[in-house]
Amino acid sequence: MTKKKSEGANEDQTIETKKKSVSAVKSQKEKPVVAKQSLSGSLNSDDFDSDVFDSEDDASQRETEGGGKDSSEDELELHGHEGSDDDDEGEQVDSENEGSEEREVAEESDSSEDEVAPRNTVGDVPLEWYKDEKHIGYDITGKKITKKEKQDKLDSFLANMDDSKNWRKIYDEYNDEEVELTKEESKLIRRMLKGEAPHADFDPYAPYVDWFKWDDAIHPLSSAPEPKRRFIPSKWEAKKVVKYVRAIRKGLIKFDKPEEEPNVYLLWGDDSASDQKSKHLTYIPPPKLKLPGHEESYNPSLEYIPTEEEKAAYELMYEEDRPKFIPKRFTSLRSIPAYENALKESFDRCLDLYLCPRVRKKRINIDPESLKPKLPSRKDLRPYPNSCYLEYKGHTGAVTSVSPDCSGQWIASGSADGSVRIWEVETGRCLKVWQFKEPVKCVAWNPLPDFPILAVAIGQDLVILNTELGTDEEQQKIEELLRLGTLPEQDEAVAAIVSWLPDETYGGIKIKHFKNISYVDWHPRGDYLSAVMSAGETRGVVIHQLSMHKTQRLPIKMRGLPVCTLFHPTHRGMFIIATKKNVRVFNLQKRELAIKKLETGLREISSMAIHPGGDNLIVGSKEGKMCWFDMDLSSKPYKTLKNHPKDITNVAFHRSYPLFASCSEDSTAYVFHGKVYSDLNENPLIVPLEILRGHSTSSDRGVLDCKFHPRQPWLFTAGADSVIKLYCH
Amino acid sequence: MNGEGEDASKVIHVKFLTKLDYPFKVPVTSVVIPSSVTRLGLSSIVNSLLTLEKPEPFDFLIDGELIRMSLEQFLNAKGISAERTLEIEYIRAVAPRKEEKPSLHDDWVSAVDGSFPRFVLTGCYDGLGRIWSSPGSCTHILEGHTGAISSIAFANSEGAEGVTVATASRDRTLRLFKVDPAESGDSTTRVGAYKILCGHKASVASVAAQKYGSKVCSGSWDCTINVWDTNESTSELSVPGKKRKGNNQAEEPQLEGEVETTLVGHTQCVSSVVWPEHDVIYSCSWDHSVRRWDVETGKDSLNLYSGKALNTVDVGGEGSALVAAGGSDPILRVWDPRKPGTSAPVFQFASHSSWISACKWHTSSWFHLLSASYDGKIMLWDLRTAWPLSIIETHKDKVLCADWWKGDSVVSGGADSNLRISSGISIS
Repeated sequence: MTKKKSEGANEDQTIETKKKSVSAVKSQKEKPVVAKQSLSGSLNSDDFDSDVFDSEDDASQRETEGGGKDSSEDELELHGHEGSDDDDEGEQVDSENEGSEEREVAEESDSSEDEVAPRNTVGDVPLEWYKDEKHIGYDITGKKITKKEKQDKLDSFLANMDDSKNWRKIYDEYNDEEVELTKEESKLIRRMLKGEAPHADFDPYAPYVDWFKWDDAIHPLSSAPEPKRRFIPSKWEAKKVVKYVRAIRKGLIKFDKPEEEPNVYLLWGDDSASDQKSKHLTYIPPPKLKLPGHEESYNPSLEYIPTEEEKAAYELMYEEDRPKFIPKRFTSLRSIPAYENALKESFDRCLDLYLCPRVRKKRINIDPESLKPKLPSRKDLRPYPNSCYLEYKGHTGAVTSVSPDCSGQWIASGSADGSVRIWEVETGRCLKVWQFKEPVKCVAWNPLPDFPILAVAIGQDLVILNTELGTDEEQQKIEELLRLGTLPEQDEAVAAIVSWLPDETYGGIKIKHFKNISYVDWHPRGDYLSAVMSAGETRGVVIHQLSMHKTQRLPIKMRGLPVCTLFHPTHRGMFIIATKKNVRVFNLQKRELAIKKLETGLREISSMAIHPGGDNLIVGSKEGKMCWFDMDLSSKPYKTLKNHPKDITNVAFHRSYPLFASCSEDSTAYVFHGKVYSDLNENPLIVPLEILRGHSTSSDRGVLDCKFHPRQPWLFTAGADSVIKLYCH
Repeated sequence: MNGEGEDASKVIHVKFLTKLDYPFKVPVTSVVIPSSVTRLGLSSIVNSLLTLEKPEPFDFLIDGELIRMSLEQFLNAKGISAERTLEIEYIRAVAPRKEEKPSLHDDWVSAVDGSFPRFVLTGCYDGLGRIWSSPGSCTHILEGHTGAISSIAFANSEGAEGVTVATASRDRTLRLFKVDPAESGDSTTRVGAYKILCGHKASVASVAAQKYGSKVCSGSWDCTINVWDTNESTSELSVPGKKRKGNNQAEEPQLEGEVETTLVGHTQCVSSVVWPEHDVIYSCSWDHSVRRWDVETGKDSLNLYSGKALNTVDVGGEGSALVAAGGSDPILRVWDPRKPGTSAPVFQFASHSSWISACKWHTSSWFHLLSASYDGKIMLWDLRTAWPLSIIETHKDKVLCADWWKGDSVVSGGADSNLRISSGISIS
């Protein structure tokens, strides 16, 4: 009882100690319980044996031993409570069993149940094993314990009748003996059956007495210092946490499992956006057909079936307007015409799908307009010649060459009819005519403003003509110049090809060459002029000096047939010769080989012109191509313009406006904007501006020459139709 | 005709007004006419109202604009309501009614001047100037130039005793001739220059005389304008003009005029000069500009940029202030220099098809001007409409020069070597 109290007070104690105490309590209580169980005939605990089967012979011994041992053992196990228990029991037993000694002995033996080994030593074996034996087991000395003779029912009944206390007797099968319960024991059993405390004087609701003095304790219950584990983080906990963290990281531990999406999809839906597309770069969704509607059913509703009138109307329609499919009714699917071949057809379709690879067409969508170079609008590049207002008529043959004078008031022209004419630009009035016997190949007006003379190439002759347009003083100078006095000594080589003669008919100078002259060009300072004889080969270019009446051969060895020549407009000694294939630049003063060779890549050069700045050159060819050379940049053309379907006959630069032009045998002249920037980093800007038509083709020749007006943005074109046209802005 | 008009869907009530006098005045009553009539229809209506013996063409103005399309179109274009009674003013149509006999020259007629009512002056490519008193009758021949005459002008008309004529030529000189109009007989008198003005370094393109003064100015291919004095001859040496018939100037001493002022500023050939006021010269040039020069200071006070090479310029119109110029394109442009802030032309007439060689304002009208072109046409213009009033197509080749004469005639010369006079132009 106190034991229980103490247990209640000391609940902190470990589970093991509790178990012990419980078993101890059990041992207290089990005696009567076992007795009762034996009544029902189902007992197999060790403790019980000792209780019930006390042998009378060693009872005293056991008693003495038991008393000594008992106390010692109880103290060990149950902290000294047992001792008092024993005392109590002993007293009770004493008081109860006063009547018979046997019982006393039995009681005494009972109290020392644990020490007394059971009479039978077979152990915990089923008793059936001994059912057919005469003995029930073996005692401690190894002697068989013989079974008692079984009382028959009558005997036991008679015994019951005889002895009023017989109901207390319980047969112990194990030990094969009868045990008689005492009054106290039966009372104990009865109480326990009721669920009460076994001892009658135990008060389960006794008031709690706090025996421990809490308040004025000077010393703590334990003076041990506070253990470190109270304030050191637990190593094991940390390890455990690390273990969990690693598991989480490895994904071994998952917290919120994502909900699984239901595995359903739109069977007929558009799968273009499906993830299949994103998985494969080259995935091409199969072409989607329009789903069949009701009218395509083999047995559509009546409203889908066209009436006879509608069918007749379809017949009247154009074939392309007729509906492709006319709904029809069939009684069954089998009666559809396609049914017979359905299998084969579907196989063919599958085969088609399989054999016909769907290939993604890699098509680049580029607006062709965006590929065009961004050129400024023509309107912004005005003025440029675009319309013809004036014509200069009078020649009877093709006009082969024109040349405006430097003021722009006059223009000279040479024609195949052998005439050289001077026209007034403003009115188109012919001012002067010189008639020669041979067709005029080329005319060139002296570039000096106070020196109005003309160089005319006629056959083998180069004739210098006095136009008589200057003032009186100028006329005097010109007449002096054109008077051939004593001619200076010429080199032999020169004399063989050139001879200076006075021209009787028109009072100028006639320079006779050994071959036909095709081209004449003045030096910008007006004293030198070069003549080109295409057939002259290496001697094909000569330079005449008018003031000295002298002729020089080119100091440079030349290759190829010369076509035309140019004096550089700014650099005095530079001389440009175009042969049929190439253009070479020479320095006459240094007498060196070509400074520069421009590779045109053209089949046959027909003409060239130089920008007044001197760095840019255009070359026209007989295949209709025109090349623009930036001579500082490269020996290759900067731009090649292929515009004319026929030969280019001449090209020209304007002296002040950013214009250049080409004229061709196709009776047209093209005008271009050609802006050269003073900034060397900027490339010239070339914009085609205008195609000038108007000339008619005569004997398969078109426009033979074109020249710009020196001051206005106007273009003169000389046509094979014997007309000179002036195109104005 | 009115009965026909009423059948038309639209009719307009009109009232004809005029400033003309008796024979051309119609009663001021409202008339109902169909809206589809054109100028011709209106003219015939007015003629039928007037009941003249000879039909007279009229031109019609609504709110100061000449009608050049059907009445309906015109009203729609101008946004004029056709419901009220329309007041139409009519004037006699500006068109030549008579073509005089052509006066044949030996060469192209390059210059003509009709500012003196009794004569017409012509310059020719053969280097001779001619004075015509009437079509076909040449009274004087002004000789001496060795090059084609490019321009001719009456320099000074000092009463009846004599007329001074200035000619400019391609031979880089100007010559001054004195002509006595009284001695015009049946035969043609040849006159030599009393004064040669040398100083230009290139062909002289144009000459103009100061009004009521004694100076002429000339524009030349050497990009300058020179101002010359015509008077010196009388003070120094009097050379009778009649003596030098058919002789050239080398035989007898002649005066050589010196340049009084040179106006420099143009960068190309000065193709035309006019001298409308006492000390203001207008000039146009192939450098695309029209300039106004102050003779006193020699500075240009105005510079109009046209974008095209200009051949001819004239000043006239309202307040004698409008500048008309034509050149290397078929558009005749009219500027108003008084308009501030803009140098855009106020009028552009673009009916020609080639270069414009001459343009002249009518001396008395504010609205009328003529233009001659290389397409062989002379057009009469009214500022109140963008269409030409009439087109004179008598020349067979380029028209090189044209001028008004006597206020109602147009004289013109061209590459067909003829001087043609179209008369009977009624400009009120």
